[in-house]
Amino acid sequence: MADAQDDAAHLMDDIDPRLLDLLRTRINTFIKWDLVRFFHANPHTADTAENLARYTGRDVRVVEPELRQLAQAGVLEVETLADLRVYTLTADNNTVALLDSFMRACDDRQFRIKAIYHVIRSLRRERERP
Amino acid sequence: MITPRVPTGIAGLDEMLAGGFLPGTANLVEGAPGTGKSTLAMQFIEHGITAHGEPGIILTFEEFPEHLIRDAANFGWDFAAHQAAGRLRVIQTSPEVTLADVRRTSGRLETLIEQIGARRVVVDSLSHFERLAADPVELRLLGFELINALKRMGLTAVLTRENPALLGETSEGDDDLAYVVDSYLLLRYVEIESAVHKALLVLKQRGSGHATDIRQYAITARGLEVRSRFAGTHGIMSGTPVMTHTEAFAAAFLTPGKK
Ligand SMILES: Nc1ncnc2c1ncn2[C@@H]1O[C@H](COP(=O)(O)OP(=O)(O)OP(=O)(O)O)[C@@H](O)[C@H]1O
Ligand SMILES: [Mg+2]
Repeated sequence: MADAQDDAAHLMDDIDPRLLDLLRTRINTFIKWDLVRFFHANPHTADTAENLARYTGRDVRVVEPELRQLAQAGVLEVETLADLRVYTLTADNNTVALLDSFMRACDDRQFRIKAIYHVIRSLRRERERP
Repeated sequence: MITPRVPTGIAGLDEMLAGGFLPGTANLVEGAPGTGKSTLAMQFIEHGITAHGEPGIILTFEEFPEHLIRDAANFGWDFAAHQAAGRLRVIQTSPEVTLADVRRTSGRLETLIEQIGARRVVVDSLSHFERLAADPVELRLLGFELINALKRMGLTAVLTRENPALLGETSEGDDDLAYVVDSYLLLRYVEIESAVHKALLVLKQRGSGHATDIRQYAITARGLEVRSRFAGTHGIMSGTPVMTHTEAFAAAFLTPGKK
């Protein structure tokens, strides 16, 4: 049983190690995945959590912490303008290139299945954390 | 001396504007949903880039850039290539962020203008500012502030605004922004003999002459096309009394509330 699980995990790990790391450490929720997709498709976006929540059809209370984590992880940048916190895509070329290859990889169904597996695992780990 | 102009690339419209907009001005394009405000604005940007080597910026408050770029491609305008070549930026943002940004020195927009050498800008649409202030006076001040910031940055601006009136009647009241802008274009649906046509009028152009008649236009696979004066060929060709058309347009534009 444990062996079978190990096998599955092994199979699921069979993706570009940089993307695997991205999924384990930075795009580790579906909301982040969604936000990254939005910023990747609309790379010159500069807006508040409230508006980004509207654009992605979600509640700001859910989106805001995810945006903050993406900014901490260097995927987004956050800037305070007057009383507004404005999020933009990172200007770092390496990170943008990495997100690029992630979004391109997502065109492949096999990759998506593996990516979804890793996000679910991250979410579970998060939930089980004491 | 001939005043330099900023042509829109829409042949009939440039003729109506005596060559185009004046450089560094704010130009309001108002109309009902679907009349082609965004198309006109995108065409202005496309023409600047391809015909005049003038990079452009589009601030979109409603349509996502990915969709706007797809819409542009529908007219044969390759905005993705313009962006890749650093001649265009389509920016998704909101009125509050834009205002906060232009209020500081060397904000994002100002830096970007420097970077790509932008000469033209589109704001689509000003109607979203209504979210920021309920008071019409305050709203006008916000619009005024944005317009002045864009002028300070040396840009020629096209600003769109929705007008909920579909046919005929113009909405009454707080049309303060019309005083602030340098030119004011009105796009309208006009009903003639139970068919809907589109018509365009230049209501004002500060510091320049402009056509005062109403023209018919169409949205084609290449964007807006302004046709000849409506009272001309059409009436004759169709055998319909010319006055019917002229009256219909006059009613649509000139006598608010009546149809
Ligand atoms: N290739 C085309 N040929 C003809 N008409 C087209 C073409 N593409 C789009 N249209 C028409 O253009 C109109 C949309 O124009 P546009 O989006 O510029 O209007 P708008 O005034 O900005 O509308 P809104 O108020 O909804 O933002 C629609 O009526 C659509 O049918
Ligand atoms: Mg529009």
